[in-house]
Amino acid sequence: MKTAASKLKPKTVIAGLAVFCTLLWLLAAIHPLDRQAWALENILLVLFAITLVFSGSRLRLSNGAYICIALFVIVHIIGAHYTYARMPLGLWAEDQFGFSRNHFDRVAHFSFGFFLALPVHELLLRLSGLRRASSFWMTAALILALSSLFEIIESVVAEIVAPGVGVAWLGGQGDEWDAQNDMLCSFVGSLAMAMLVAVAEWKGKTE
Amino acid sequence: MMGRPVRFGANRFLQVMLALYAAIWVVLAIRPVDRADWFLENLLVFTAVAVLSLTYRKFQFSNFSYLLLAIFLVLHAVGAHYTYAKVPAGFWLADMLHFERNHFDRLIHFAFGLLLAYPLREVLLRSAGAKVRWAPALAFIAIIAMSSFFEIIEAVIAQLVYPELGSAYLGTQGDIWDAQKDMIAAFFGAVVATALGPLLPRVATDASSR
Repeated sequence: MKTAASKLKPKTVIAGLAVFCTLLWLLAAIHPLDRQAWALENILLVLFAITLVFSGSRLRLSNGAYICIALFVIVHIIGAHYTYARMPLGLWAEDQFGFSRNHFDRVAHFSFGFFLALPVHELLLRLSGLRRASSFWMTAALILALSSLFEIIESVVAEIVAPGVGVAWLGGQGDEWDAQNDMLCSFVGSLAMAMLVAVAEWKGKTE
Repeated sequence: MMGRPVRFGANRFLQVMLALYAAIWVVLAIRPVDRADWFLENLLVFTAVAVLSLTYRKFQFSNFSYLLLAIFLVLHAVGAHYTYAKVPAGFWLADMLHFERNHFDRLIHFAFGLLLAYPLREVLLRSAGAKVRWAPALAFIAIIAMSSFFEIIEAVIAQLVYPELGSAYLGTQGDIWDAQKDMIAAFFGAVVATALGPLLPRVATDASSR
């Protein structure tokens, strides 16, 4: 990740991203389409933000990793504001391409895998001792595991809050295979990022 | 016996175990309840056995790991013979404990987490370079990932090959949360295996076996 961003001071980058995300979050918190759904969607985001703040001083990631995290957070903030199923861009795509449902949630799952694979890969390389080749697989595995934990938690919450309604309440939008398709999206996302990183490293070596 | 890997020719334990497994597999391959389903279930076995034999020269598991893998494969062979939803032991369990469905498949998902955590830990430590402190957590993650990968594959096959049959083919037995519950079962299997980790034979890493 030798981009323009890496020449900036890490502190400037992190502060800039944090300020931007916070402003966007506040903006999206005003009149979300469904306050309850918005609150549920934001529980994990708030926990994630707290973890980042408290681990930040001890575990400094690269600028690229922080940019990736911010990009995922932005996608999620927008999705949560529109309760995903009513995100305008997804509705437009549904009309335009004749999709059976609003696929913006799938975009978010892909973003989860794609953008968070970079920080996960960095952490694994730094902490776990895994060899480079294994760390790529482990990154994809970790993303997939997180994604399925998320689906499990969702299903448990759904059974508690809306027993019987289940999948529909979760924003499955009539997809019988919603959980599997969600996980597939994040898995593919993480593999795409792993490949990009591998190519970037290989190019860096040959130059 | 359980310790570090030995050459196949000199590994009596592995030879006997392999022969036993082959015998059980053949018996259970005779007149399964549903041949097509049996074949689908066995694709996993063919893949696993092919991978294990092809990588044997490069990487040999400890006999303890092979034992765990064999136990899992035997359980799976029983499930495949009865297409899981019709395993007699599962019916018996359902009668005894008043379950609404045959839970033998959940038992196998649990066994997957329970029995595969140790072999995975061994690969991570001996081949992938994982630190000893990290290995149990990484093995745990790998179990969850493999379990959800399996659910994804199942769903993809169901959507591509049998769109009209849908979840019936997967043996969900009418449970909308079947995938999640399967993954939870594997999750708890992995939890138990991780908790038991310190009691199991220590993985002989290259550094410690020399």
